[in-house]
Amino acid sequence: MLVWIISWATPKCRDVVRILSEQMDHELPLMMRFRLRLHFSVCCWCERYMKQLHYIREAARRFPEHADEAGDPALSPEARFRLKHVLNSQ
Amino acid sequence: MNQPGAAPSSSVTAERPTTTIAPRRGRAQTNPERWVDEHGDCLFRYALVRVRRREVAEDLVQDTLLAAIRSREKFAGQSSERSWLTGILKHKISDHFRKLGRETSFTDLDSLADEFSEKFVPEGYWVHVKGPKEWKPESDEVMHRAEFWQTMRHCLDKLPERIANVFMLREMDEVESKEICSMLSISESNLWVMLHRARMALRECLEINWFNREK
Repeated sequence: MLVWIISWATPKCRDVVRILSEQMDHELPLMMRFRLRLHFSVCCWCERYMKQLHYIREAARRFPEHADEAGDPALSPEARFRLKHVLNSQ
Repeated sequence: MNQPGAAPSSSVTAERPTTTIAPRRGRAQTNPERWVDEHGDCLFRYALVRVRRREVAEDLVQDTLLAAIRSREKFAGQSSERSWLTGILKHKISDHFRKLGRETSFTDLDSLADEFSEKFVPEGYWVHVKGPKEWKPESDEVMHRAEFWQTMRHCLDKLPERIANVFMLREMDEVESKEICSMLSISESNLWVMLHRARMALRECLEINWFNREK
């Protein structure tokens, strides 16, 4: 019964995931934040989704430093030579 | 003989590329060449993920290293050399997209199509078997592995170009939403939809290709 009430009173999962994404970019009103917490009490998937959004954010923030490990391609020998020539002419 | 793919602004016509070039000036000449050797590939690979075109990525790396030469006295060593160069590259990439945004319309109706509606039942709840799986191990353990970054790159490459641009401006360059809207002449609601699509797609791709992959 309580689960039913909470499901009725909080946004549906399809909307929650959209709202969680918006929350990554701007602060939500207090009431919405409260409704999300309430929703998580009956929906582990949405709570997991929120954690995974933060995971993706962390991975994206670290990606530039790890671009080297992300595989090919590399600078071509011609591009490398051209770069060095341009830099040395400064 | 001209090199294939030579940049228009360069007058170099080398017969055979060599690894080093005799410098003209006396002041710390080896740094720029060392930067190319030590950081060139990393900067290029990151630029290529962002702009998806080799020639543009090469130009951005060149602009980055030129800017670095001009400002090398300001580099006081608070971060690693690579972090510093990557920071300059991010600014160059932002400038590139700012210019692109003014020249072209940035919204793409096709890329706004809802590809994930089948994950939810009509009432709006997750289809049980399609809900997010648990991701293990934790990020610190995973983000040391080259294979993870290859997967991340693969997933980023799969995003539609405009959505990828917006996501990477927001998440990698950490540009504020309002500034992205101004740069690209898009509304905030368009931005949020595009970011939502990007995050859903990336989450799905990472789950399938990394966290839930066949071991």
